Amino acid sequence: MLLRRSAKGDQQAFAAVYRRYQSPLYRFALRMSGNSWAAEEIVQEVFMTVIREPQKFDPSRGTLGAFLYGVARNRIMKHLERRPRDLPLSEKREDGSSLDTLASKEMTPVEWAELHERRAQVRAAVFELPVEFREAIVLCELEEMSYEEAASALGCPVGTIRSRLHRGRALLLAKLELLREVPRRANAGG
Amino acid sequence: MPEGNEFTVRGPITCEELALACLDFRSTPEGSPVRLAVLEHLRQCPQCAALQENLQTLQDDLRYLGLESKDAETPSRVQMRLMQEFCSKHKSEKTRRTVLTGSWAIAAAAAIVAAVWWTSWRHDHDLSAFGWKATTTQIAKVDANRVSTVHPAAGLEIGEALVASSSSGDFTLLPGSTPSPMEDATVVRVEMQRSALGAFGFTVNEEHASDLIQVDLLVGDDGLPQAVRLLESTE
Repeated sequence: MLLRRSAKGDQQAFAAVYRRYQSPLYRFALRMSGNSWAAEEIVQEVFMTVIREPQKFDPSRGTLGAFLYGVARNRIMKHLERRPRDLPLSEKREDGSSLDTLASKEMTPVEWAELHERRAQVRAAVFELPVEFREAIVLCELEEMSYEEAASALGCPVGTIRSRLHRGRALLLAKLELLREVPRRANAGG
Repeated sequence: MPEGNEFTVRGPITCEELALACLDFRSTPEGSPVRLAVLEHLRQCPQCAALQENLQTLQDDLRYLGLESKDAETPSRVQMRLMQEFCSKHKSEKTRRTVLTGSWAIAAAAAIVAAVWWTSWRHDHDLSAFGWKATTTQIAKVDANRVSTVHPAAGLEIGEALVASSSSGDFTLLPGSTPSPMEDATVVRVEMQRSALGAFGFTVNEEHASDLIQVDLLVGDDGLPQAVRLLESTE
């Protein structure tokens, strides 16, 4: 409905669509690409598609959100094909300040440093995942979407999401070398 | 376990089943059979307990990673650029639509003008055709009154012509007069010298110029003689 009005030139309708979807799409693009400039460009291209080719959205094939995620995915894939090894960045706000301030209170500097390092490792490990597993991890773990929502956004069955998530976690554990610690911990525990 | 289905248990679970069960462990309700089976297995299997602990740590880290960028939003400059694009796109579309509508309006106006002109031309054409027919009708009417035309340039000898006319009893149209309806015409009989016929534009034989002749003049509505008939008695 909003998109139809937007296609007819209703600026308010377009602004409403933008406000509703820009933030999750930006986070998705940012977490997939690891590059805030790329994420900005991807979101812009997604909404340019909405402006220039609104007829591409077919309500009978899914929701507007799923359509926008689909367009964003295509742009992300193209971006990753061009620059597959973008370094994962710590996200920053528009004013340049870092968002990485969580859990920094009530912690000793050592604890904070360890936590920061571990999260940096996790972030890097996520960016090293194959795209299909990264998508599942980003949507289900970082974005905290349900399996159904993630399946709708990625245009695949729920079972596929579950399986990708399972394998993605396993890959992450392997990358973080936590699995190597398992026998050691088990022995220590036994 | 089939894809898309929730994990279900009917008793103690294996290490492989635990890995699958752990997939949804966080969202599993307290006291559910799956949760109880997982906890039971974790108590008995230190390796799985360690794996589960690592998985829990990973999920916590991922959640924190998500929270770090939870408030991330597209920079406002993107919205400005998009709004500009939106306005320019719809403005240009509006302009294009206006131009298109204007063109169609002009084309329609031209078509109407052409249609009116053609109708007018057809009307005029029909009138002129009707006028030609009317002339023909007038000539026919003159014929009906048995009036013959004489062209002065033909150099007709008046004597011969008049004699011939007299014999047939027809009026001879005077040179320069145009055929017109004769319904209201008047016939006036006059006596005059033959030379007076010269005034009507006829050529007169000089030898008989002083002879008196009787003629019938066909006088039109305007009072002017239109045709002349030479009477036999004068010959």
